[in-house]
Amino acid sequence: MKEVTIRIRRSEPSVSSDVHYDEFKVPVGEGMVVLDAVHYIQQNMDQTLAVRWNCKAARCGSCSAEINGRPKLMCKTRIDSVGDKITINPIKAYPVVKDLVTDVSHNYEIAKKIPPFTPKEGLSAPFKMFQIDVTRSKEFRTCIECFLCQDVCHVIREHHSNYFGPKHMVKVAALDMHPIDAIDRSELLHGEGGVGYCDITKCCQNVCPEDIRITDNAIIPEKERIVDHAYDPIGILIKKVKNRRW
Amino acid sequence: MVETIKNSDPSLTLFPPEFKEFNWRLWAFIFVIILAGGALFLYPVGIYKGYVDPFYSPTVLVIPVVALFRISCYAYRKDYYRHVFRHPLACIDGIRFDDNRKGYSGEKTFFGLNNYHRYFLYAGIALLPFFYYDFYVSLTYIPGEFVLRLGSLLIIINAIFLTLWTLSCHAFRHLTGGHIDCFSCKAAGNGRKKFFNGQSALNRYHEQFAFISLIIVIGVDLYIRGLMAGLPLDFTFLKFAI
Repeated sequence: MKEVTIRIRRSEPSVSSDVHYDEFKVPVGEGMVVLDAVHYIQQNMDQTLAVRWNCKAARCGSCSAEINGRPKLMCKTRIDSVGDKITINPIKAYPVVKDLVTDVSHNYEIAKKIPPFTPKEGLSAPFKMFQIDVTRSKEFRTCIECFLCQDVCHVIREHHSNYFGPKHMVKVAALDMHPIDAIDRSELLHGEGGVGYCDITKCCQNVCPEDIRITDNAIIPEKERIVDHAYDPIGILIKKVKNRRW
Repeated sequence: MVETIKNSDPSLTLFPPEFKEFNWRLWAFIFVIILAGGALFLYPVGIYKGYVDPFYSPTVLVIPVVALFRISCYAYRKDYYRHVFRHPLACIDGIRFDDNRKGYSGEKTFFGLNNYHRYFLYAGIALLPFFYYDFYVSLTYIPGEFVLRLGSLLIIINAIFLTLWTLSCHAFRHLTGGHIDCFSCKAAGNGRKKFFNGQSALNRYHEQFAFISLIIVIGVDLYIRGLMAGLPLDFTFLKFAI
C-alpha cells in the first residue's frame, strides 16, 4: 500500500512553550482525505494528537488547517491532490489551544457587534419575499464559518488591525442585502469594522471552500455603499435631498 | 519561533505556483504607461489613413483620466497591493512576504483616494463613444467610399473590449443595481434585476477584460505605427462606393 509522510505541528501553549513537528508514515487508499490520515494517526500512532472535526463532509467548518501552507478544510482535501509529503499546521491567525485546535472565539465577539436582522417598520413574520430579492443574500448563507478566509486575510493575520474580517463582511452583506432588513451596516464597517484596511487582494475568495465570491460580492459592494455615504459628494447630496422632509 | 519553523518548512516546494506567477496585468500596465508617454510626447501618431491612434486625443487631459481609471480599478488595485507592496504577495504561508513590521494602513489614508473610482468611471463611459466614432472614421475616411480594413477590425475589437472592461466595473455594478436590496419594490424591478444579473456575469471576468483591453490598446497602437513605418499590413476586405 502506498504511504505518505505527514508532518504535524505539535504544541500546547498552556502547558509548555515547546513547538515541534512530528512525522508519521500513513498508508493511503484511494479517495482518502487529509482528515482520514489524521484520524489514522490518532487511532494507531499517537492518541494525544488534538484535532477539531465534526461532520467530515465540508458542512460544519471545524477541520480548518493549513495544508502545505494553504488554508483548507482537511475533510475536503484529497491526499492525492497535495502530494506525498504533507505538512499540516493549525490556522495561523488564531491562538493555538493544542496541536491543530485553535481558539476562534474572537469571531464570536465580533459577531456580537453586528446588529441582527431588523425588519422594516410595520412588517412582522411571516415575511413575504420574492425570489429576485433573495438570490444575492442566499450566496452568503452558504458560509460554514470555517474561518479560513479570516486566517488568510493579511489584515488579521499579519497586521492585527481592528478589521472585522471577510467572514463578517459576508455576514454583514447577507443582512444588508436582505430585502426586508431596515439597517445599513456599512456605516459600522466604515468605522469600527475597519473595512478600509481591506485591500481587496482576494485571498479570502481564493480559499473559501463554499466558493462564496467574498471580495466581489460582499466586500466590494459594502465598500461601494460606504463610498455612497462617506466619499461621493454627489451621492451624499442625493441622499440628503431624498431624506429631507419638505 | 513559530515563524522560523514555518519558513524552514520543507514541504514548500522551491518555487510554489504563486511565486512563479508573473503578474501580466501589472507589468503590461507599466509598459503601457511608458509606451503612452513616448507615444504622446516623443513620437505622436495621431491619425494615419483614417486610423486614429488609441493614445491620440485632442486634449492632454484624457490620458491621465484613463490612467487614473485604470489605477483606481479594483482589478489593478489587487495587482499593485500584491506585487508592488506585497500586502501580501501570495495567499500561501511562507511566501506571503507581509508582516507586522511593515507599515500598513490599507485604503484608510492615501489609497482611500481609490474610493473616487466611480468618478473616473463616469469619465470612462463618456469617452467610450469616441472609440466607436474612430471605427466609423476608419470606414469612411475616403470621401464617397466605404472601406473595411484590418485596422478597422482592430479598432472595433479595441472599442468592444474597452466597453466590456468599463461595463463590468464593480462601481458600475453598484450604481446600476448593486445598491438595491429590494428589486421587487422598485419600478421595473424585474428588468433591473435582469440587467444586474447580466452585469454581474460580466463582472466575473473584470480582471480578464482589464488585461485583454490593455493588450489590445497596445496592439492597435503598434499596428498603426507599423503601417506608418511602411510595413505591408494594411489588408482591405471590403471596398465600395457610397
